[in-house]
Amino acid sequence: MKAEHRQGWLFVAPWALGFLLLTAGPMLYSLYLSGTSATLLSPPQWIGLENYRRMASDPLFYRSLGNTAAYAAMGVPAGLLLALGLALLLNAPVCGIGFFRTLFFLPSVTNTVALAVLWLWLLNPEFGLLNAGLRACGVEGPLWLQSETWAKPALVLMSLWTAGGQAVIFLAALQGVPRELTEAAAIDGAGPVRRFLAVTLPLISPALLFNLIMGLVGALQVFTQAFVLTGGVQPGSEGGPNQATLFIVLYIYKKAFQEFDLGYASALAWALFVIIVGCTALAWRLARERVHYEGGTP
Amino acid sequence: MLLLTGLLAGCGRPAADERIITYNCAASTSDIAALQLAAADFRARTGIELRLNPFSGEEKLYAMIAAGQAPDVFYTNGAVRDRLAAEGRLLDLRPYAEKDPLFARLRPEIRAAAASVDGGIYSLSNWTHTCGVYYDRAAFAAAGVPAPTADWTWDDFTAAARRLTTPAAPGARPARYGVYIPAHFIEALEQMNHAPIPRDALLLDLPPESREVYAAYLRLVHDGVMPDPRRVQAMGMQAAQLLQAGRVAMLVEAVPHPGLIETLTIDWGVAPLPCFGAKSPQYFRSASGGLSISADTRHPADAWRTLAWLIGEAAPYQPNPVLADADFAVAWEQKYPRLRGTGFREVWSLSEQHAGGDPRYFVRFASWSMAPVMTRLQPWLDRLWAGDATLDEVVAAVPGINAGVRADLARQARSTALRPAWKAALERALADAPH
Amino acid sequence: MSAPRAGPAAVARLGLTYVALVALGAIFSAPVVWMFSSSLHGLAGVFAQPFRWLPAPPHWENYVRAVTILPVPRFLLNTVIITAPVMAATLVSSALVAYGFARFRFPGRDALFALCLATMMLPGQVTMIPLYRLFAWLGWVDTYLPLIVPSLFGSPFYIFLLRQFFLTIPRDSEEAALIDGASRLRIWWSIVLPQARPAVATVLIFTFIGTWNDFFGPLLYLNSPEKATLTLGLNLMKTQVLGSGVVEWNILMAASLLVLLPNVILFFAAQRHFLRGLTMGVGK
Repeated sequence: MKAEHRQGWLFVAPWALGFLLLTAGPMLYSLYLSGTSATLLSPPQWIGLENYRRMASDPLFYRSLGNTAAYAAMGVPAGLLLALGLALLLNAPVCGIGFFRTLFFLPSVTNTVALAVLWLWLLNPEFGLLNAGLRACGVEGPLWLQSETWAKPALVLMSLWTAGGQAVIFLAALQGVPRELTEAAAIDGAGPVRRFLAVTLPLISPALLFNLIMGLVGALQVFTQAFVLTGGVQPGSEGGPNQATLFIVLYIYKKAFQEFDLGYASALAWALFVIIVGCTALAWRLARERVHYEGGTP
Repeated sequence: MLLLTGLLAGCGRPAADERIITYNCAASTSDIAALQLAAADFRARTGIELRLNPFSGEEKLYAMIAAGQAPDVFYTNGAVRDRLAAEGRLLDLRPYAEKDPLFARLRPEIRAAAASVDGGIYSLSNWTHTCGVYYDRAAFAAAGVPAPTADWTWDDFTAAARRLTTPAAPGARPARYGVYIPAHFIEALEQMNHAPIPRDALLLDLPPESREVYAAYLRLVHDGVMPDPRRVQAMGMQAAQLLQAGRVAMLVEAVPHPGLIETLTIDWGVAPLPCFGAKSPQYFRSASGGLSISADTRHPADAWRTLAWLIGEAAPYQPNPVLADADFAVAWEQKYPRLRGTGFREVWSLSEQHAGGDPRYFVRFASWSMAPVMTRLQPWLDRLWAGDATLDEVVAAVPGINAGVRADLARQARSTALRPAWKAALERALADAPH
Repeated sequence: MSAPRAGPAAVARLGLTYVALVALGAIFSAPVVWMFSSSLHGLAGVFAQPFRWLPAPPHWENYVRAVTILPVPRFLLNTVIITAPVMAATLVSSALVAYGFARFRFPGRDALFALCLATMMLPGQVTMIPLYRLFAWLGWVDTYLPLIVPSLFGSPFYIFLLRQFFLTIPRDSEEAALIDGASRLRIWWSIVLPQARPAVATVLIFTFIGTWNDFFGPLLYLNSPEKATLTLGLNLMKTQVLGSGVVEWNILMAASLLVLLPNVILFFAAQRHFLRGLTMGVGK
C-alpha cells in the first residue's frame, strides 16, 4: 500500500516538478496581477477586487463571453461528430487507406499563414470561390467574415477543416476495438448503427471524453483564427464586424497588449479560467458514468 | 549565397565591452542581407556593431522590455510610443537630436510630430508618404475619360468614377468599378475637406466637414461605382490586385508605395487627391511610426548614432522621404525607373508645396486614446458600412463613445506608473475637453 | 447483413466508401492543392480572378528560389535540434506521468490530475510575460532551452491523452508480470507502451507537428537570425517593411509546402500503426 503511494508519486513527479518550477509561479503571479492596476510594463498597485467589479459592468466582457459561448456551442459538437465520422470512414479496411488518411490530415499540418490566405480568398464575398459557387446555383452568398451574422459560422467552418487531428485520436482508439466483438454482434443480427452504439462507442468512450474536454477547452480559448482572419489592419477593428468575433481571449490580448491594461486582462483571464474549469467539471461529471474503461475504473 | 553569408554574418559572441547595439525590427530576408552588408561598413567607420533581431511582434517586444532585455533600438507606432514614454521606458532623444545634423535634415512636420507632450522626443519617423489616386490609363482611354489633372475636384473624380464603371445588368455587379478607396484613407479625404482635427485630441469629434466626407464615401458605394469595402476585404496586396486585375479603374493608396510599384504591370498613372469644391488642397503626409531607443540601453550615444545612421544614411533605407535635404522624387525615380511619366513626381512635389493636415498617420489611430476610441467607434462604422446605422446615428453616438473614452482615460490618469508630466497633460486634456 | 466476404452488398459498400473517401478527400486536400498550384504561378497569378488551378506555364523555378532565398540547411538543422529532443522528452515524460495517474492509487492523485488539466485552462497571454522573465533571469533567452526544457516535465495534453488510452488496456498481463517480480518501470516500458502503440504514434505525430510548425515559441525566445527555425524563416519571407519589396506569395507557398513535407511523410509512416483493421479484418 505504502509502496504504491510512493511509486505513484514517483511516476507523476516529472509533471509535479515542472508545475512547481515553470507553471505555478506565472499562474499565481497572474492571479495576483488581477487584483492590481498593473500596466504591461510598470509595477503593480493593489486595488483589490476593483478589476472584477469593473468586469461585471463591462458590456464588452459579456459580448465576448456570448461570442465565445456561441462559437463553442456550434464548433464543439460539429467538430466531434465530423471527427468521429471521418475516423470511422478512415478505419475502413480498404486499399490505399493510408493515402486517404494523409489527405484528410493535410489541413491540420498546413502553415497557418497559408491557410489564412486561402480562407480569405475562399470566403471573399466578391471574388471568392464559395460565393462564386453559390452564385452559380443562383444564391447570393453572404459576406462571411465581414457579416455580423456569418462571421462566427465561417470561423466554425474553418475549424472543421482541421478535424483530422481529432479524427486521428478516434482512429487510434478504434484500434482498441476487437473486430471479433463487432463481428459477433453482426452475426447476432445487429445492424451497423446498433453495432456502433452498443459495441464501438463504449469502447472508444475514453477517447471521446478526451476529445470532448480538449475540444471544449480549445473552443473556449479560441484565438488564432479570429486574430489572423478578423484581426483587421486598424486598431479597434479586431473582433470582426460589429465585434461578432471578439472572443474572450482576443479581448484579453487586446486589453493586455494594445491597451497595456495587464491587471484587467489578468482578471478577465481568471474569470475565463473559472468558466472553463466549471464547464470541464460539468462535462466530466456528466460523462463519468458513460465512459467505459476496459482496464477498470481508475 | 550572398543572402546566406549575410544571414550568418555576426554569429560569434563578442566580448562584453564591445559596442553592440541591438536593433529589433521587422525585416524580410533581403532586408536582413542588405542591412548586414551596410552594417559592416558602419562598424568599420564607427566601431559600433549592429546586431539585427528580425523577429518582431508586440508581445515579444513587451516581454523583452518587461524582462529588462529591451533591444537598444526598435520600432514604435505613434500610440505605443507615447504609452511607453509615459512609463519611462524610452530614452529622451532630444539632447542627442539637437546636436546632430540629422535633425535639421528632417522635414519640419517630422520634427514637429516627434515631440511629445512633455517636450521630449521619443521616436523619429523613419518613413513617410502622401496619398494619391492610382489609375488605369487604358481604362481611362477606352472610356474616353481625360486623365486626371492636379486641380481636379471631388465632382470631377466621382464623374470619372461613374463613367469608368462598366454598366451592369440589374441585380448584378459591374465587372469594373470606377474606384476603390480603402476605408482607412477616409481621414486623408477629411483633411482635404478641411475637417479640423486638433493635434493630440483625446476625444472623438466628427465635425460637419468629416460627416460630408463620410456621406460622400457612402454615396460612392450606394451609387455602385465603388465596391462595398466589406466585400473587398483588402488584405496584403489585394487592393493593388484590384487595379492590376482591372476590377477597379482608380485606387486611392499611399505614395510612394514600393509594393504597389512592383506589383502593377498595367499602364498606370497616379494623380493627387481631388479637392473638395474650391477648398485649397491639404495633401496629407504621414509622420507616425518611427525608431525609438530603450531607456535601459547601456550605450545611449552609440544607440543614437545607430538610429541616426539608420534613418539618414543606411543604404537599404535610402532615399528616404523623411529627409528634406535631398530631392527624394528624383532619387526615388532612379531607384524605380518605371515611375517616370506616371505622375509620381508631380504628386510628391505637390505634397511638398502644401503644408498638409496633421502629419501623423491617421490622427485617430495615432493618439494616446486610439484604443479606447476605436474600440467604441469601429462597431458603429461596421454598422454604417452594413447599412444597419445611418450617419446621423453614428454622429449621435459620439457623446456616448466619448463618455466611455473619458472613463478609460481617467482610470489611466490614476496610474502611479505615469511620469508626472504625462499625468498632468492627461488630466489637463480631460479637464479641457468638452463634456 | 454485411458479411465481410464478397457479395453484392459488400461490393456496394466498398464502392460507397471509395466515393466518400474521394469526395471528402478532395475537400480536405484542397488547401494543399491550392498551395501547390499557387507555388507554380507567377506572382500576379496568385491573386488573379478567377484563380487558375493549372498554371501555364508552371514556374518550377519558384522552388529553386524558395530554397536559395533562405539558408535552408541551417534553419533545417536548427528545427531538427529543437524537434528531436522535444519529441523524445515529451513522449517519455508524459507517458510516465500518465501511467502514474492511470494505474496507481495514492493520496491527492485526483486533485493533482485535476490541477494538471487546469493548467491548460488559463490563457497563455497572461502567463507569457512572467514565464519570459523567468527564462530571461536564467539567461536562456536566444537559446533553444526555453523551447526544449519544458518538454522534460510532460505536457498536460499528452498526459491526459495517454492516461485515457492506458485506462483502456486490461490489467491482466501487468498483474501477471508484477507477480513475476517485474518492476513497475519495466512493465510500463515493455508491456504498457507496446499495447498503447496507436496512442504513442499519435503523441509522436502531434509533438512533431506542434514543434516543427511552432511559430510563437521561437518568435518569442530567439533573437539571432542564424538561430531561426523554418517557420521563423517562412515568416521572414512574408515580412513587409515600409520602403521595401512585396510579399512573394508564390515563393512563400513553395517554401511552405517544403516545410510541410516532413509532416506528411511522418504522418504517412506513422499511420500504419492504425492498421489493425486491415491485418485482422477482411480476407482477400
